Amino acid sequence: MRINSKLKAIATVAVMAFSASANAQLNVFACEPEYAALTKELAPDAKIYSATTAMQDPHQVQARPSLIAKMRQADLVVCAGADLEIGWLPMLQMKASNANVRSTDKGLFYAAEHTITLDQLTQVDRSMGDVHAKGNPHLHFDPYRIIDIANGLTAKLSQLDADNRLQYEAALADFTSRWKAAIPKWEQQAQGLAGKKVIAYHSSFRYLFHWLGMEQVADLEPKPGLAPTSSHLASLLKRAEQGDIMAVLITSYHSDRGAKWLGERSDLPVMRLPMSIGGNDASTDLFSLYDSVISMLLEVK
Amino acid sequence: MSLSTRVSIVALACAFASTSAANAADSSLSNPNISAVLDGYYQTGDRPMSVREEGFGLGETELAISANIDDMFYGKFTAIIESHDGETEFELEEAFIQTLALPGGLSVRAGRFLSDIGYLNNQHPHTDAFSDRPAVYRAFLGNHYFDDGIRLSYVAPTDVYWTMGAEAFSGDKMRAADEHGEREFDKVGVYSAFTKIGGDIGQESSWQVGLTYLRNENGKTLVEEHDDHDDHVDMLADDHDHGHSHNAAFTGQNTYVADFVFKWAPSGNYKYQHLTLSGEYFRVTDILGEAHDDHEHDHDEVVAHEDHGNAFDAYHEGWYLSTAYQFSPSWSAGLRYGQVDVNEIHGDHVHGQQLKETELSLAWHSSHFSTVRLQYTNQQGTNFDGFEDDNIITLQYVMTLGAHGAHQF
Repeated sequence: MRINSKLKAIATVAVMAFSASANAQLNVFACEPEYAALTKELAPDAKIYSATTAMQDPHQVQARPSLIAKMRQADLVVCAGADLEIGWLPMLQMKASNANVRSTDKGLFYAAEHTITLDQLTQVDRSMGDVHAKGNPHLHFDPYRIIDIANGLTAKLSQLDADNRLQYEAALADFTSRWKAAIPKWEQQAQGLAGKKVIAYHSSFRYLFHWLGMEQVADLEPKPGLAPTSSHLASLLKRAEQGDIMAVLITSYHSDRGAKWLGERSDLPVMRLPMSIGGNDASTDLFSLYDSVISMLLEVK
Repeated sequence: MSLSTRVSIVALACAFASTSAANAADSSLSNPNISAVLDGYYQTGDRPMSVREEGFGLGETELAISANIDDMFYGKFTAIIESHDGETEFELEEAFIQTLALPGGLSVRAGRFLSDIGYLNNQHPHTDAFSDRPAVYRAFLGNHYFDDGIRLSYVAPTDVYWTMGAEAFSGDKMRAADEHGEREFDKVGVYSAFTKIGGDIGQESSWQVGLTYLRNENGKTLVEEHDDHDDHVDMLADDHDHGHSHNAAFTGQNTYVADFVFKWAPSGNYKYQHLTLSGEYFRVTDILGEAHDDHEHDHDEVVAHEDHGNAFDAYHEGWYLSTAYQFSPSWSAGLRYGQVDVNEIHGDHVHGQQLKETELSLAWHSSHFSTVRLQYTNQQGTNFDGFEDDNIITLQYVMTLGAHGAHQF
């Protein structure tokens, strides 16, 4: 009986400690602004920090002191995964000494593990450039995959902060209904884009094109991760002369030098699309990001 | 459209089912990160205390294996293969474990590892913007200081990055010269305490400053016979120029280091352009001591007849200031100035000597993993083991292959 009462006391203390942490605001470290925005939809009360902006290439981020300090305090780290952050996230985890966000069993969430990525490779060789065996990690321009990821993220939030589970589920239901209402509207607007061919920078918009039925016929990068070279641009110019290309598209964090060169010579419009929230003034959340990208594409068409 | 909701539900189920399979692709015991660094060069002269010699040569060829051992420990092994005068040498640079799950921002690293003192020391040399470490590192740390020991680190839960740490090492590489090989050195010779503070300035700039104190119990060179002026203590520095030992050339009991680094990139986007500005100052004091404490009063007499100043107050110092700019993904340039003012110990008195280096480097990167560098060094030595004014050109490649770990700030 004494053991029993001891156990009870321990359980009470544990519950108290747990509820104290549950009442505290959840501290979320997002690797990219799109995941900061998704977390904001699903956990509006959380304290959310985005490690990168839409102007920064998420492949190339410095494991800088401010990020270590933020990760040290995080309850949850939300990243694209599929090795997008392989060049900096492991160093941050090592330096931040925060065991809570080290494994996906606990407070680490990789979006790519909650959906199926495109372009997975069985064989990866450095001569192929910066490719990811786990598939293309730029997932956030597929609205259906966003639903998959939102479901997974809600489960993770509920796991970490069980006391607020109902709130997270309500937020998910609210987000999902608004998102599902927006999808047919976007698909309606974008109907005319199906079958359009573009030249783009990197495979950043792979999921967008896949969703809207567009085709990226050539890449400004000779190989993933490598900057456009003049010989490669010359071959793109040749390709553009076939006359079936709608536009040259780059993201908010890509240099427009190669694209401008190509655009001027081939008489193709060059458009810089926001890669994420904050990539242009109009993109303030996931909804307005999609609105903005589709309306910009329609403008070129 | 192309992806129906039904498919995505199946996808979700599959994703959950295959989570463990997906994890297996990360580094783990069955699939650790294995990487190698290849470094080769041609150079037109010798730099003092450098591992690179005139002519064709190989730098440190590195083979590293690292992985999370389980959920509590991370382990890394780095072997260095060096080739000098036709001999191939194998050295273990790192063989350590680190805790992953200590609470409260604490971590412990044990085994052989790079000390976290200063800015550059815990970085791997192949990430440097120059072919050699600055002269301060070559003089006081034997290029870069790794040793057998233990470290406790703490990261504070603050928005401004603040870390503190303490280390204890065997300190074999940091021992003062021992003329007769009779000295009883402390088995745990080196202790360090350091702190680093850092943060961002807006979206574009980041900074870090650090302070280190290093106590080297075996760092004092002991004077045994006061009247034997010509009996030079066999300083490591004397044979270091032509050798390639990783031992510190100049030692003392107390070392103080102040360091800073500042990085900038347009919009904070490191893809195309970025700038790194860094500098460190080292001061090594208490370089000379008495072999026998009961002869304390002799100091004054000795110094009185000598015209070399008070040898027991002499210290070494050195600093460098370095800037590296990547102006396109394929090209980067660096400019570095550094100097050391050190004292060579001759019996019970010291001779000042100085080395100044001005260096300019230009590097071409075909990707993040390959660098070809052309470097020009102007060195000016004063009483520095025969090194005088000289110009050196180095052409070097540094390439990494395999799953290379992430880089530090």
